Amino acid sequence: MTFKTDLPVMMPVKPHEPEPFLRLKLWHVVPIALLCIVGTTLAFAADGDAKQSPLAVLMNWAPLLLRGFIFNLVISVSAMALGTAVGALLGLGQISPNRIMSGGSWFVTQFFRNAPWLVLLFFAMFLLPFELSILGLKIPFPDWFKAILGLSLPVMANVSEIVRGAVKSLPSGQWEAAESLAYTRRQTLWLIILPQCVKRMLPPWMNLYSILTMATVLASIVGVSEVMTLTGRALSAEGGRPELLAPFYGFVLLLFFVYCYPIARYTVRLEKKFAVIN
Amino acid sequence: MTLKTIKMLATVVVASTIGLASASADVLDTIKERGKLIVGVKADYKPYGFLDTSGAVIGIEPDLASDVAAKLGVEVEFVPVVSSNRMQFLEQGKIDLMIATMTDKPDRRDVVLIPDPNYYSSGTNILSLKSLGLKEWEDLRGKPVCGIQGAFYNKATSQNYGAEIVAFKGTAEAYSALKAGNCAAFVYDDSAIVAKTNDPEWADYEMPLPTIDDAPWGLAVQLGEGNFAALMSEMIVDWHKSGRILELETKWGVANTPFAKAMNEKYK
Repeated sequence: MTFKTDLPVMMPVKPHEPEPFLRLKLWHVVPIALLCIVGTTLAFAADGDAKQSPLAVLMNWAPLLLRGFIFNLVISVSAMALGTAVGALLGLGQISPNRIMSGGSWFVTQFFRNAPWLVLLFFAMFLLPFELSILGLKIPFPDWFKAILGLSLPVMANVSEIVRGAVKSLPSGQWEAAESLAYTRRQTLWLIILPQCVKRMLPPWMNLYSILTMATVLASIVGVSEVMTLTGRALSAEGGRPELLAPFYGFVLLLFFVYCYPIARYTVRLEKKFAVIN
Repeated sequence: MTLKTIKMLATVVVASTIGLASASADVLDTIKERGKLIVGVKADYKPYGFLDTSGAVIGIEPDLASDVAAKLGVEVEFVPVVSSNRMQFLEQGKIDLMIATMTDKPDRRDVVLIPDPNYYSSGTNILSLKSLGLKEWEDLRGKPVCGIQGAFYNKATSQNYGAEIVAFKGTAEAYSALKAGNCAAFVYDDSAIVAKTNDPEWADYEMPLPTIDDAPWGLAVQLGEGNFAALMSEMIVDWHKSGRILELETKWGVANTPFAKAMNEKYK
């Protein structure tokens, strides 16, 4: 119902919600891509010498770079899966009534959450052997596997905090009500608390995944043949032509944007949907 | 822990050590058993080792490595290495053989086994603007000079001539920084610089200084692999004798270097 009034206090409450400056849809990526790549190459199109134009060179290398990017995605998905599995256990450990359990979990979480990702990656890279010999059986540890392990450590710690935060964010009435109905602690956790936590955890978890995906290029520093490493090699195979730098790195930026932007948009939608109104 | 478990554990440890020792007795046997020679090569150093658009490693050094594999009658697999990890990979046994533009230095001979004679050689020079009019290495004192991370001559250029080295990951970044005027010169291999000065796009640039540190390159195998090293010595002599190095230089568009010519004369 509406009132005819000038008094602000009588006006209906409109939640102030900042609209995104640009509402990008997936198809908008196409003009952005053209701007990024063609724009940077246009300046050189006028040269007209025997050399291939930067765009043509990029097209030659695009399939290889795409393969490298898929490798990045494989690393990100695996590190996320591993980190989530261990991190969830660690998060439950943090809320355990057992002091040793919760203290230990807290320490591990804080340690890995406050360490730089790159340092953890180096740690995994140079501390693990390239193959492990157990009773004559050789288990190889390829570089990409070490990268997955190294990146899953910070993911684990962050997931642990997400789980702990979600459980703590539920009103204590939920616990008390469950107790009054004679649920055991385990039953309360599995049947009442955690199902309510899942939707609270989903948006931060997806944010974490986006961040992890973008962090996979760190693996290029430790020599994994992912998209950044391949870009560097492609650039030197083309004889280090400076005008190729912008289109090539622009292409890599674009790949990540196309992949991560929809995730970011979807996260915002989920956040709105699950918003807890107090 | 009971005595029985301790005994069992000890047996396991001893057994696995023996297993390891026999496995690393001779890398040639391992290679033949595996049916594959694993070679560490550069993948960002045109034309010695670089990628083609399909992602395969090609160039002078991969061709040499294929010769070795053909001689052993096995397949070849290339592992891309960089200056900072190539010796570590060899020590760990991740690669059997390393042909990766490595300069032969006494301290490196302590870590890996470098068979004689050397297969290649190159020197250090700079690429800089003609208008700067650099005449000698001393002119670089106090100036920013672009370099490539992990190259040994970075240290020499900064220590002996007082240049301030700005090290980049790859050549593209370094050339770009030079063009943008972020550094006065780019210190690199002389053969690559000669090729660049012939490029019309770099017409304003020159290689003004006398080449220094003309140093031989060595390929390497793991320490203690005497048999493999002897075989490699034989192969290198063969490459020089048959003019294979000169042929590969021509194939990959490098002017024949004085070193390759001299070695061809020597062993002919």
